[in-house]
Amino acid sequence: MKEAGRNRSREMSSPVLTFEPELSRTLLQDVMDLSGQNLLACYQCRRCAAGCPVGDEAGVTPDRLIRMILFGEKNEVFNNLLVWKCVACYTCGVRCPNNIQTARINETLKQMSKAAHIEPLNPKVAAFHDAFLTSASRSGRINELEFMCRYEMHNTKSELMRGGGWRAIVDEMKKQAGLGISMMKKKRIHFRPAKIKKISEVKRLFAKAKEKNMGR
Amino acid sequence: MEIAYYPGCSLHASSELYDIQSRIVLRRLGIELKEIEDWNCCGATSASKTDDFLAIALPARNLGIADASGLSEIVIPCSSCYSRMMVSRKKLADDPALRNKINAELTKKIEGKIKISSILDVIVPKANTGEIAEKSIKKLEGLKPVCYYGCLLTRFPSDVEVPDNVENPQGMELVCRVMGAQPLDWSYKTDCCGASAAVNDTDTSLILMYRILKDALSRGANCLVTTCPMCQFNMDAYQDQVGEKYGFQERLPVYFITELLGIAMGLSPNEMQLNRHFIDPVGLLKELKLI
Repeated sequence: MKEAGRNRSREMSSPVLTFEPELSRTLLQDVMDLSGQNLLACYQCRRCAAGCPVGDEAGVTPDRLIRMILFGEKNEVFNNLLVWKCVACYTCGVRCPNNIQTARINETLKQMSKAAHIEPLNPKVAAFHDAFLTSASRSGRINELEFMCRYEMHNTKSELMRGGGWRAIVDEMKKQAGLGISMMKKKRIHFRPAKIKKISEVKRLFAKAKEKNMGR
Repeated sequence: MEIAYYPGCSLHASSELYDIQSRIVLRRLGIELKEIEDWNCCGATSASKTDDFLAIALPARNLGIADASGLSEIVIPCSSCYSRMMVSRKKLADDPALRNKINAELTKKIEGKIKISSILDVIVPKANTGEIAEKSIKKLEGLKPVCYYGCLLTRFPSDVEVPDNVENPQGMELVCRVMGAQPLDWSYKTDCCGASAAVNDTDTSLILMYRILKDALSRGANCLVTTCPMCQFNMDAYQDQVGEKYGFQERLPVYFITELLGIAMGLSPNEMQLNRHFIDPVGLLKELKLI
């Protein structure tokens, strides 16, 4: 009896529904808003695919990526190599009859996976761009030697965090050191610091960027 | 004529030779470059891959400084810096709220009035007026370059003005012809070399460079000529690696357009800093009796 009564009361009172816009957003909406690209305009003509220089290596072409987003395939979207192999040459966007810049979508997806703490398929790419911006925020300009050291630090850290071996770290360092030495021989590395005078102004812009990201 | 100049980090570091050449060669063509003061890094592709606000704000600070210089035109030889600056200016023009927000942090506010030029925007008119031919004392006969524009110089045609054909630009060919060289037609002039992928995804970048070099070689080119410091660096510094991996022996020097202008004007390889190349650029010039 007690059980039946409970069921009846559940049937009688209507459940309380709340509308939470953030939770009901689809992947498609997020990507369209953040990238500023109208993915709905894609009619799969595949001109982007024909022009993409890394489509073969990535195994995914821009049109496929757009389709995955339209279908809401979150896993596939955040775990495909195109996002990380994209060289941002924007050939896809130049060729698209509907002006969809898939390279821009790849930038957005990198940002979204960072915000959601999704591990990048190619952590070196993420380490590179993070190190680049850190260097720019510290001195306002990029000194390649300082930047490459920072990149190797970011890289080593992410390799260790993923439980990677020392072999990979040492190989990577050897490779970059080899390039560094040949650059030195050709006087294409500089040792003078690259700091700008009004670094405080650049730091304010970085602070503003942080504020905005926290509100997201 | 004095115009404002934004060298960007590359021209102050790994491609300093390009900075030195540009100043000398443009001076000979009657253009004095005035470097804008205390400029900062444009953020390159790293900013747009990491933070949308910085991707606009970092170039914006430079645009503010350029506007305050009082000059009417700024030349940006690096394709990446040029492209970021063009995109930032367009975004700031379309979004006054963002412009005000960024301006609030800046001493020199963005007005959006200065004309942004690539190095070809500055050089090509000098080919048309006959000034390059006039200043050239040597004909670059026997030099068969493929003109390698790289990807970023002609991008975003729907958003920003691209002064040349987007996928088949002709400006650099025109300049080469005026100097007496025979630029060859080819299919990879606006293809990407991989840029930063050479460091963080080397195998991918090597494939892209291989395709570019393969087409250049099969057309019978004896060199590449470019305006982009990243294209020049990659094709030059990684060419041995590409050749070893894909099994070809030929090596092509990768010149900046400013180097060829300098040679045509009779400047010495030393003045042009040719000793700072990875693939020997002097041998071919000697062989053709251009130096």
